[in-house]
Amino acid sequence: MNDLLAVLWIARKDLLHETRSKATTVATLFFSALTLVVLAFAIGQDERLLQDAASGALWVALAFAGVISAAQSYQADLEDGAFDQLLTTPVPRAAVYLGKLLANWLFMLVLGVMLLPVTLVLYGASLPASWPWLIATLALGTLGFALIAVFYAGLTANLRARESLLPVLMFPVVVPILLAAVRASGALIAADDLELAAGWLRLLVGFDLVYAVLCTAIYHFVVEE
Amino acid sequence: MEAESAIALRGLVRGYGRRAVLKRLDLEVTPGKVVALFGANGAGKTTLLRLLATRLRPSDGTASVFGHDVVRAGHEVRKRIATLAVFGGAYATLTAREHLRLDAALRERTALDPDDLLARVGLADSADALVRTYSSGMRKRLGLARLLAAGADLWLLDEPHAALDEAGQDLLDQLVREARARGVTVLMATHERSRSRRLADAALLLVDGRLQRSDGVPERA
Amino acid sequence: MSDASERLRRPAWLRIWGAALVPLFLVGAWLGLVWSPPDVNQGNLIRIMYAHVSVAWIGFVAVALTAFFGALFLWRSRRRDDVLAVASAEMALLFSSLTIIGGMTYSRPTLNTFWTWDAKLTLTALMVALLVGYFIVRALIDDPVRRGRVSAVVAIVVATSLPFNYLAAEWFRTLHPSRAIALDGSGVTMAPEMLATLLFNTVVAGLVYGWFLVDRARLGRIEAQLETERAERELATPSAGGVVRV
Repeated sequence: MNDLLAVLWIARKDLLHETRSKATTVATLFFSALTLVVLAFAIGQDERLLQDAASGALWVALAFAGVISAAQSYQADLEDGAFDQLLTTPVPRAAVYLGKLLANWLFMLVLGVMLLPVTLVLYGASLPASWPWLIATLALGTLGFALIAVFYAGLTANLRARESLLPVLMFPVVVPILLAAVRASGALIAADDLELAAGWLRLLVGFDLVYAVLCTAIYHFVVEE
Repeated sequence: MEAESAIALRGLVRGYGRRAVLKRLDLEVTPGKVVALFGANGAGKTTLLRLLATRLRPSDGTASVFGHDVVRAGHEVRKRIATLAVFGGAYATLTAREHLRLDAALRERTALDPDDLLARVGLADSADALVRTYSSGMRKRLGLARLLAAGADLWLLDEPHAALDEAGQDLLDQLVREARARGVTVLMATHERSRSRRLADAALLLVDGRLQRSDGVPERA
Repeated sequence: MSDASERLRRPAWLRIWGAALVPLFLVGAWLGLVWSPPDVNQGNLIRIMYAHVSVAWIGFVAVALTAFFGALFLWRSRRRDDVLAVASAEMALLFSSLTIIGGMTYSRPTLNTFWTWDAKLTLTALMVALLVGYFIVRALIDDPVRRGRVSAVVAIVVATSLPFNYLAAEWFRTLHPSRAIALDGSGVTMAPEMLATLLFNTVVAGLVYGWFLVDRARLGRIEAQLETERAERELATPSAGGVVRV
């Protein structure tokens, strides 16, 4: 119960940081929207091609923003030794991880819900009848991504070359997440095919469950020095 | 039978080979003492404090706080300590009041009245301002308020006098004396020799990764 | 001096093991190139499979063992477990690189392209990327204990990701069935001679891995011992004399 409270407090702290450092947050949002536009330019005028690429573009934009926001959440921690001090309180390391995860996941999920209509308009696709499943795909996919991003961002936070190291470490691990999320939302956007999406959603659920348990259990090795 | 030591180091090493920062330290600190820790920049004072705060693992040897090993019983150690970081250790995007409530939640303590605490350290007017608008001295004062709120048995202070004005330093000394009266043990790394010698029961000197007693400190009962 | 060279000597059983690898390898090559029959569909091309698949299998075992030794190091903090972990990771990187070369050799004549999004080949490429990350992390940390602990965490995450990567790659492929071809021979009817040849070559690959692992771990242990002795000498300079009490 008290540990749950600690999780919420840490999430609150990170979310307050996101909303109070507006310039950075807005820049991240703008950057991901811009990614969508640039990708649309790169794909060209072919309507069919654009529609097929919609879900892929959405997840590329989300992935970029997710890496940036995970790295930034530790940047705030490392200033003035605030994280160091936080970790000398008797709060379980797992609660720290879950709190930061919760904040990062919410950020990505909100971003995803905001980018979805933008994507549909830019890529000439329409909202499928099974749109609640599209939101579920967004939730499961961003959760899986945030699980790895928050974990590895903690690991790279006090290493040299952390900016380039984080994507190098995490992208091969999140390949199944991105692949499954792209396929599932693609099946929904392009064909409204719930049956095809269901298989990929199961993979997302399995990935999220396994890594939620694993990362929570070994996070204390990540923050020790 | 004497009560167990507040701090006990046995053959403590941190770092590796030629670059070892702490080289086989053996130390016992009696509970309730205020101990000053002197040493040149880079002598390893912060390393020792972070190690006792369970943030660094010993490379060899052991360190324990009130009988709890910092590696194997880190959680127990963290229940007994409170730290003050050089730059205050606060989040730039939270207010002073939010810090005190965050700490209270993480330490599972019912919060002392934040207004009282902040008034005590002279931050009453800035309680709801973001820390990023604070001066370095104000950040240190916020650190003092969080220290008081922690209710810990061992204070680990990293250059507590630095960045504080004259009144702030007097306040710090006063708080340390009150803490000692309550039985709190204090270990403070510092360059403020004259102030610390008046304040401390004993002084240690870190030279070249080794500990020795620093002479000229009056032993109190 | 003689002490040092004594230390560096391989024990007899390890020398015998190493010497036995050469004839075993030659027998495996003979089985694959001469003794086993050509495949009904793929003809002599199938012979690449014996080297390719055996190496790929052992590569996966090596990644799993890297994570296993890493976990042991986190648990008991013995230097030798970290040495075994890194030795296993080096072999995993070598074997998965060989697997990719083998896969490309195989797909060039069958599919007329060097790269195919075959599930296992894609998986192996990802594995190389994951292992490169592991070695970058190791290179960035100087403190040997911390290096071992952080890289052990990376190894555990990496090994866990392999089944998911496999599933994703496998399902990804089924959406393009026309371009897919099984590179592990599972689509091929295996004659008993072929199966025997594959198994024999897998055992040889396993013995090569095991030998390098043991020998590398032996060298690593000596290295660690020397480092510890040097560190001890440096720490042993003037003792402060007893416990400081305050």
